[in-house]
Amino acid sequence: MIRIRGLTKQYGQIKAVNNLSLTVEGGTVFGLLGPNGAGKTTLIKLMTTLSKPDSGELFVDEHDVIKSPLAVKKIIGVAPQENNLDRELTAYENFLIYAMLHRVSNHQEKISSCLHLVDLWERREELVSKFSGGMQRRLLIARALLTDPKILFLDEPSIGLDPQIRRQVADIIRRTRIDGRTVVITTHYIEEAESLCDRVGIMAKGTLIATGTPEKLKATVGQYIVESVSAEGKLLQSICRTREEANLAARNANCQVVIRKSNLEDVFIKLTGERIE
Amino acid sequence: MSAPAFYPIFLREMLLFKRKLIRIGYLFSAMVVPVIYLITFGLGLGRSVQMNDTDYLSYLIPGLVAMSSMTNSYTWVASALNLNRLYFKSFQILIQAPVPASAVMVGEVLAGMVKGLFAAGLIITVGFFSAPHFSLTPLLGIALLLNCFLFASLGVVTGMITKTHEDTATYNNFFILPMAFFSGTFFPIEKIPDIFRPFVWILPLTHSNIVMRSQSLNWESVASLVILVGYAMLFFITGERLIRNYSE
Repeated sequence: MIRIRGLTKQYGQIKAVNNLSLTVEGGTVFGLLGPNGAGKTTLIKLMTTLSKPDSGELFVDEHDVIKSPLAVKKIIGVAPQENNLDRELTAYENFLIYAMLHRVSNHQEKISSCLHLVDLWERREELVSKFSGGMQRRLLIARALLTDPKILFLDEPSIGLDPQIRRQVADIIRRTRIDGRTVVITTHYIEEAESLCDRVGIMAKGTLIATGTPEKLKATVGQYIVESVSAEGKLLQSICRTREEANLAARNANCQVVIRKSNLEDVFIKLTGERIE
Repeated sequence: MSAPAFYPIFLREMLLFKRKLIRIGYLFSAMVVPVIYLITFGLGLGRSVQMNDTDYLSYLIPGLVAMSSMTNSYTWVASALNLNRLYFKSFQILIQAPVPASAVMVGEVLAGMVKGLFAAGLIITVGFFSAPHFSLTPLLGIALLLNCFLFASLGVVTGMITKTHEDTATYNNFFILPMAFFSGTFFPIEKIPDIFRPFVWILPLTHSNIVMRSQSLNWESVASLVILVGYAMLFFITGERLIRNYSE
């Protein structure tokens, strides 16, 4: 479980995280959704002891991150957005150093199982610099699982991956949830947030503007979107609560329309007036 | 029995160092500057320099040992830490691992010492073959270890406070390079004008040179040893604090 109250982190004049409060229940997948610069990565850095907050309370599994960072470090696994593997070391050496740092007892066995999980065991003796971007990302996620963490933090785990590898990453996250771990994931892929997360927090300008299950969040906006193109070529969208309401809006429009189900991006646009880029 | 907490940090650096050693370019870069100095000052200008009790080359070798151990311990740690922190982000793995800051500091410093000792070893080997009166004394060994420890610790401090990789070169140009020339590496500090003498006495490399050239313990070498230990503690504690208080 993660408990955050009034958390603030400021860089110069910019409040990257601004008086944020949040509770993430244990054993769930929680998604942080928002555009670049919303404060998602800063929030992850704060939760994983990489940044120190300016004010507020932050507890990870009942451990105070500010007062007992070592206790927090023992129970978390982190796959950061930026690739921080040692490129001049082999995949095995990267995992060995990580396992030793975290005092993983049966590290040979664990390294083998994590590298098998991402189908990279056969290439364990190759330098990471020789791996493709997708392989390196898979290594990052597998390395985060090496310590059997109680809470797993994945910062944009599928950024820049092709659909096949994204599906593989999604499968790993689903498997992790079945194992009973808590997963905190940041993403700006709407489908990823909808399909993987039990609950989603939408962030903008350092604050959480909405939290809830994807269905609940969508329901607050409306289930259907009626889209048409204006005479000036502008995309027009109207949000409808029911299918009947959407059909009526389509009939009243004097042009071609498309009716589709709403998604979390529509929620974001409704709440902020901006798109998730 | 499990390995000490600093061991994975040290092991990581040694694995990277092993890869560098395999490349001929690394050996060349570790050797090139001291060899240039050795040829220029030792075999070139040095022929005309009269020393009181020894030949110039035997005088120069301990200075080059101090200088090359300083530059290698310092530069490799400062540069690697800076790059790993700002560009490769691999330093963040250490911060997020359940190891105390002191273990990270010990691991980084020991790795820096190995690099400094490696470079010093090359100069010492050259010294045995080229300088007739050069000998490896216990005091030289102690000063060498202290010198590597001290400058590797300073390397951590620099690696932690620099905001860009270019800053590392700036620190190098302002502190390390002048120290290499004005700390008694190439000529006795007594020959430096009086006005600069106090500045020279502040520099830690001055005291490394004094101890490395001492044949036996005397008041001067003991005082220099104490100063070196003081600097080593100051830089180590500062580096440890910077790691402990690290925040992005």
